[in-house]
Formats: sequence, structure tokens, C-alpha cells
Amino acid sequence: MIRVDTYVEDGVAVLKPQGRLTMVTAPALRELVAEMITSGQVKIVVDLSGTEFMDSSGLGALISGLKTARRAGGELRIACLGPQVSTVLRLTNLDRVLRPYESVAEAVGAR
Amino acid sequence: MPAECGGTLVAPAEPAALDQVHDLLQALWEDAGDVTLEDRICFETAVTEIAGNIVLHAPDGSPLDFTVEVSVHPDRIEARFRDAGRRAHVDLTTARLPEDLAESGRGLALALAGVDELEYRRDGTINRWRVTRRRTG
Repeated sequence: MIRVDTYVEDGVAVLKPQGRLTMVTAPALRELVAEMITSGQVKIVVDLSGTEFMDSSGLGALISGLKTARRAGGELRIACLGPQVSTVLRLTNLDRVLRPYESVAEAVGAR
Repeated sequence: MPAECGGTLVAPAEPAALDQVHDLLQALWEDAGDVTLEDRICFETAVTEIAGNIVLHAPDGSPLDFTVEVSVHPDRIEARFRDAGRRAHVDLTTARLPEDLAESGRGLALALAGVDELEYRRDGTINRWRVTRRRTG
């Protein structure tokens, strides 16, 4: 299982997954994001400062959340990337689609 | 050229084995000491994708183990996987990233992007993968 700390800041749900976001744990994050969106919380920031490693399954969970949020009229942003997560985003050219924010506050406040 | 240091893991081909692969690499970095962060990140990312591919596609329904040997050499870092599971239907010469919003299908392209060599071959009934990254420092 993956531990995901959650809180709401300025009407935006902030999710902070801890540890490794891989094929072991990505389904749980995907499900959590989907549940939040279903419950009406369509603006989401994923704080990746506690995510030490992410594989293509973890990336898939973020893309899934982005699509689900947008379909519901919301948005999913990512913030506080560590070096491995940044590398994965760069190697897959997805830093254009999932723009990384320096801080949660910046991601929450972005329009 | 002899390996500077290395380690071996035999684990069941199931998702929980990924954590054991990470632990193996963690121990390797501690032993090697001087591998750059960029090399470690790119290698570990590729190795995890291959382990994930094996876990997902090699088992045919019955219990299956896979073996991975990792080693740090003066000029490169290498991982060699083997398992006796189903043949991997991959073409590493055509692996490409899918469209931006695809939720899967990036594993092999991501692995290829981070290392210098990625090889798969079927050797009788054995699948063999080799992942090599040349050291940048």
C-alpha cells in the first residue's frame, strides 16, 4: 500500500504520496484521485516531494488523473518533483503536458 | 575488466518483487559509492521498467521466479535478468512513446531513453534481458 497524505488548500485538494509510485502502488493513487473527482473535488495538486521514485505506471496514474479531472471541468497539477521524477517526466516528454510547479502554493495559485 | 561490485536477487515474478529490486540497487549504490546521481536514476528507472515487464508478462499462471544480477564496472553499470516464463513479444528497435495522454505503453521507451544498451533475447526456454548504462562520471 502507499500512504497518501491529503488536505485542502484554497479549495484545491493536495495529495502527497509517500515512497515509491510504481506498478505496486499506482493503482491506489489512480483510484484515490478518481474518488476525489467523483465526490466533486476536481482541482487537484499532487505534491511529489515525498515520492522518491516513479515508474511508467506511476506516470500513467498521473495522466489518468489529469484526464479525469479535465473531463470534470477541473485540473491536476504536480509540484515539488525530486530528481528521479523530473527525469522520468523529461525522458517521456511529458513535462509539456504535466508542467511541474516548484511549490504546492504555486500549483494551487496558478490559473 | 572485472566488476567493481555487484549483487544478485532471485524473486517471485509478482509486483512486490519491485521493492526487492530497489533494495538490491540501493545496496549496490552504497557499495559502489561513486556512481553519479544521473547514472543511478537512469539505470534504476530502466531496470524497474524491465522488472515490471517481466512481472506483468512472463508468468503463465503458475509461480515463476526471475533472477537479476546487477554490477558496477569502471566504465558501465549493468543488469542481467533471466526467467523461464513466456516469451516477451517486444521489438526494441520500434519501441516508441505513445501519444501524450496515453495511460500506459511507455515502459520500454522510457527504459531505452535512459540507458545505452537494452537487449532482449530468447535463449531456448529462457528470457534474457541485459541493461547497460555507460558511466558518465
